[in-house]
Amino acid sequence: MAAFFRLRIVRDLGIALIVVFGVGSIAMLLAHVSPFDGFYALFDGAFGTTSEFAETLVSATALLFPALGVALAFRAGLFNIGAEGQLVLGGLAAGVIGVFVPGPPVVSIVATLLAGAIAGGFWGGIAGFLKSRFGANEVIATLMLNVVAALLATYAVDGPLHFATANEGETPLLAKTAWLPTIVPDTRLTISIVIALLLALALRFVFNRTIFGFELRAAGEAPEAARRAGVDLRSIALQAMTYSGAIAGLGGATLVTGVLHRFNTGLSPGYGFVAIAVALVGNLEPIWIAVAAFAFGILQNGALSMQAEANVPRDIVNVIEGLVIIALAGRRYIASRRTT
Amino acid sequence: MNGFVIALIAIVGLTLVKATPLIFAALGGVLSERSGVVNIGLEGIMIGGAFTAVCVSGATGSPWLGAIAGILAGALLAALLAFVATKLAYDQIVAGTGLNIVALGAAAFGLVLVFGQPGASREVPAFGQAGETVLTVLALVLAAALSLFLNRTPWGLRVRACGENPRAAAAAGIDPLRTRFWAVVTGGAIASLGGVFLSLAELDLYSDGMTAGRGFIALAAVIFGRWTPFGATGAALFFGFFSALQYTLQRAGIPSELMQALPYLAALVALAGLAGRVRAPASDGIPYVAEALRPRSGQARPEGSR
Repeated sequence: MAAFFRLRIVRDLGIALIVVFGVGSIAMLLAHVSPFDGFYALFDGAFGTTSEFAETLVSATALLFPALGVALAFRAGLFNIGAEGQLVLGGLAAGVIGVFVPGPPVVSIVATLLAGAIAGGFWGGIAGFLKSRFGANEVIATLMLNVVAALLATYAVDGPLHFATANEGETPLLAKTAWLPTIVPDTRLTISIVIALLLALALRFVFNRTIFGFELRAAGEAPEAARRAGVDLRSIALQAMTYSGAIAGLGGATLVTGVLHRFNTGLSPGYGFVAIAVALVGNLEPIWIAVAAFAFGILQNGALSMQAEANVPRDIVNVIEGLVIIALAGRRYIASRRTT
Repeated sequence: MNGFVIALIAIVGLTLVKATPLIFAALGGVLSERSGVVNIGLEGIMIGGAFTAVCVSGATGSPWLGAIAGILAGALLAALLAFVATKLAYDQIVAGTGLNIVALGAAAFGLVLVFGQPGASREVPAFGQAGETVLTVLALVLAAALSLFLNRTPWGLRVRACGENPRAAAAAGIDPLRTRFWAVVTGGAIASLGGVFLSLAELDLYSDGMTAGRGFIALAAVIFGRWTPFGATGAALFFGFFSALQYTLQRAGIPSELMQALPYLAALVALAGLAGRVRAPASDGIPYVAEALRPRSGQARPEGSR
């Protein structure tokens, strides 16, 4: 069983690598760039210097949070494609609370992160509530809530929550006491990566060693059997969506307290969507998701220097990520066929 | 009084302009979903149609060729979704999400490649005002045609059968996979006209993000319109009306974000069944896997989901 799991991961990673290098090479040839130069620029930009490598880890961390959230919901058979909106609102809450709660570093950091998790959890919980109370399809609900979240954030920072000291579209800079401490000096790499990895370990424990983790999986893979065995599917749906949103919201909060030090409506360049690819490549297993997040972090960050150094538009990375999602869209069905 | 009539005509005209791309996309969504395939990729298909139309119109100088190319591009993107959703029995929703990301990235990439600049293309030969009118009329005619097709023709019955109960359809001699494939591809071609409208009729260029979530609003219109062509068209007109009112109401102090959020909130209300009961085609979103080959295919959703 364990060996089989590993094989599938190896196969999925193989598919992802083929897409990355295959499509990447074609795109570079189209842009009249030799794939060797293009990928050299990409990897050089991701690993070349300490600060570039730190930036790669920053991207990986930004992806890891929402990917873990997405994986939690996916495990329960719920397609939370609303990580983007949950992340944005988590960031908004963190940005606002961070301004209001000065005080000793630990207090204000904990308050901002908690605010992010609560806001994200609330937003995910709406979809969970609509699902469990009315049977509303969570995919469409989270899709709609993504847009509403973005509009809400724009309205809030320019309207009722607008601060005189802030520019349009953002909250004021947080007090230094609310900034996450950096790990590597003079970079944006903060302890958020440690938080993310600890969270991955914790989720691994929850998924594999707790009753809740078992119920999540049962609800996802064999809902009818789970229901007959006494699992409250409605309650699981609400909980899974809430926790999933809280994790994504926490990720948004770490972007605010650790990277930008303020909320900005452009906080996320689609981390919540790329997170779906990360979660699928990681096979919904927290540790593998961390590995996948690192790989996608390389892509995200390396793409910037690929564009600057080799003149390959970085948007090709989105094409690659989307194709990886499509290529792995069959994964869940393989899983459910295996278990039923 | 005269001023009132003029204002009314202006609002009706603007409503139609705002609603037309939504109608095309929503009709494409209806056709696809009635065959049993949820098309989350409508947004990406619109982007593909809008971008390709501008490229070809710019290269050939003919907006007509551009429009045809845009339709083909939409059909092609839909064919990718249709292939993985039918033949491979992949998850439609995950695949559709991927399709949106691919199309957005590919258009941004292509913009630099073809026009040598990021952000927006140069201006290309377009249809202009007359094209807007023609396409709006076409959208309304298509709504009627699709309604007739689904409800009054044997092919429409087959499409609906595949969306409700593909196993029974297969037993009656219909090939659910092929029916779904062509429904999705045709739906993609229709939806891409929404993109063509944006880039070659309302404007004369492609710019990044020009579809601005219209594919998702169309998805909302499909649900709000209860998966029927006329219902979806009505919902699209309703959303278009509020979009047209946006500027007027903004001056009256109503935040524009609230107006923009309205279609999505309406869809959430409809989804929750608060605006009367809604029911999706019974097998919407569930891949069909032939009985003899693979017994007990995975169910996509728990019972009772819409």
